[in-house]
Amino acid sequence: MTRTLMVTGASKGIGLETVRRFLQNDTTLTTVVLVARKSAEYEHALEELAEHNPRGVELAPYYADLADRETVIALCRDVARDHGNVDVLVNNAGYTKPVPLQQVEFADFERTMAVNLYAPFTFVQELLHAGNQFQLIINIASTAGMNGRSGWLTYSASKAAVINMSEVMREELAIYGTRVVCISPGRTATALRRVLAPDEDPSTIMQPEDVAAVIEMLASPVGRFVDSANLVVRQ
Amino acid sequence: MYSLLLLNGGIGARVAAGQPKQLIKVRGIPILVYSLVAADAVPEIDQIVLNYPDGWREDVERVVRAYAIKTPVTYVEAGATRHDSVAKMLGSATNDDVLIHESARPLVSPKDFAALIADPCPNVSLMLEIPFTVAPVDPVTRTVTGYLERSTLRNVQLPQKFAKADLVSAHERAAADGRTFTEDATMVAVSGHEVRFIGGQDRNIKVTTPTDVRLATYLLTTTEESWDD
Repeated sequence: MTRTLMVTGASKGIGLETVRRFLQNDTTLTTVVLVARKSAEYEHALEELAEHNPRGVELAPYYADLADRETVIALCRDVARDHGNVDVLVNNAGYTKPVPLQQVEFADFERTMAVNLYAPFTFVQELLHAGNQFQLIINIASTAGMNGRSGWLTYSASKAAVINMSEVMREELAIYGTRVVCISPGRTATALRRVLAPDEDPSTIMQPEDVAAVIEMLASPVGRFVDSANLVVRQ
Repeated sequence: MYSLLLLNGGIGARVAAGQPKQLIKVRGIPILVYSLVAADAVPEIDQIVLNYPDGWREDVERVVRAYAIKTPVTYVEAGATRHDSVAKMLGSATNDDVLIHESARPLVSPKDFAALIADPCPNVSLMLEIPFTVAPVDPVTRTVTGYLERSTLRNVQLPQKFAKADLVSAHERAAADGRTFTEDATMVAVSGHEVRFIGGQDRNIKVTTPTDVRLATYLLTTTEESWDD
């Protein structure tokens, strides 16, 4: 068995750590499709991944702002054409600009929904339309999607929708034998967390590699024993 | 290779009025999808002949496209009866061997098709033992007319497999005799061709009533705990 992994938000945080772990440990992996916005950080991450790629897995970087639906659709077309079937999809990319209700700019709410909810939906729908058969889809939600948090309206609402969407996906894609998992990490030391909680010491909270280890477990044969509900990963 | 004749043409007021029963949804998914996805996973099926009730072709094509069914699909308008539909669909089958299934049986699995294909006989039906007693009656006088030995009767299921030539000749014979059959295994047998049967699954139910929809929903739900609403 060989498989292709696709990770969005792969330039840093949970996405990058997920790619790193799979490169080291998944002997069935032949290709990793990485998706992120163009940045120096992304280029640096790609160089570093190339240096630590013991089995010579193909690293296929794509550059996209997931808020742009047309870009996401075109990207799906390119991925299907260039890499065939995506076996494992990790919808990890996230966006937030936490402000109180009275200060929410509607365009920013739309961007939050576009990146956090519509992009994962579009990746799944477009690839299905292209005939893709997923083994596993992992949607990264958040504990902030389980309870609304003051000051985080747009982010909380988008992640709540991801949790619910994942439940529907799990039911509907069962006809293909596809597993759909939703993870809700709690406080994790990522760039997004720094936006949500700028005063927090990142060394005191859960690290992206901890969440990546959970993702790796979910993609392993035992994953199917713990994937029936939103999986909370927190300290 | 095999052509699958997928019956999808009956107008069924029994499940819900106003819609052909095959566009009825089970677990929110058009019932037709379950059979299409199962057939798509069988490498020996390289053609699906799919019929549609008059006026429903676009809806049916839309479902096939949305689910990215890879096996080429040939569309045929439904006949006046199931018997007529099969006869019409046969004309579009490109292979010498055909499988017949109906979308009203969403619990079919790729294994069911594979079991028929693996059987060395050309004409094979899935059948089930009958766990209850069937009585022959005169429905006009409401009189019981005799006794049927249960061990020599079987519940006829789909899918089935036939040599196309045998099925075509059986349909020609039925037409010549002016007979209409409700399914093909008995028709082919009556016309003189050998038809064998292998054991089916009792979960492969035919969905024709609202109760059947609920039962199929239950059987298709992956976790039993989540089937309450």
